[in-house]
Amino acid sequence: MERTAVIASKLGLHARPAQTFTKAVAASGAKVTIGRPGGKAANAASLLSVMGMGLKGGEEIVLVSDDADVLDSLVKLVETDLDAE
Amino acid sequence: MAGVTQVRAPLSGQVIPLTEVPDPVFAGGMMGDGVAIIPSQGKLFAPFDGEVAAIFPTGHAVGLRSADGAEILMHIGIDTVALNGKGFKANVVQGQKVRAGDVLVDFDIPTIEAAGYKVVTPVIVTNPDEFPNLARQIATGPITAGNNLYTVSG
Repeated sequence: MERTAVIASKLGLHARPAQTFTKAVAASGAKVTIGRPGGKAANAASLLSVMGMGLKGGEEIVLVSDDADVLDSLVKLVETDLDAE
Repeated sequence: MAGVTQVRAPLSGQVIPLTEVPDPVFAGGMMGDGVAIIPSQGKLFAPFDGEVAAIFPTGHAVGLRSADGAEILMHIGIDTVALNGKGFKANVVQGQKVRAGDVLVDFDIPTIEAAGYKVVTPVIVTNPDEFPNLARQIATGPITAGNNLYTVSG
């Protein structure tokens, strides 16, 4: 299944927000991919892959996983301004 | 079993401990362990033979994966994502195979500094779960690009 989310962190999923996000994915134990709508999906647990996508604040992303609970919590995380924490 | 990856200095300049990087994300080791280099020249070289795992669209950071699977992030400057590519010219694309010493990114130190950003460049291991052992071959002081920086192993 998949969920879309809008990135709330101003500079996007970069550095600290990317680190927070990928750590959460890894900790969940679920297989999760991240991508732009209609774009290529990358491993959401890989810091390099996520940062390398250059996702900006306000951009919409698509998360795919078999685990609905994990997806819900990741959507919440993405829609939080992680730079402000 | 992962092997040992020799990481060479991707920049010429001054090596400093990560803890002295003026960004808590890197200084606290949150992004991964390693060292930082204050570059004296605006050229980022490949620190080993490998593959470009990530080249940021803005050109200010590159992730490389070694043949053994070690992933190294080189992040030129602090908060330089905000420059949106100004002062950076990437010479490689994602997935490209590179050899140690290839020029990955050309960057203009005066342009970056004039915009108010520091050019200090963390060189860190971003998959420490697979490569927990990092042995520094230099902790602080001057270094020439291509010289041994540290090794990582699983």
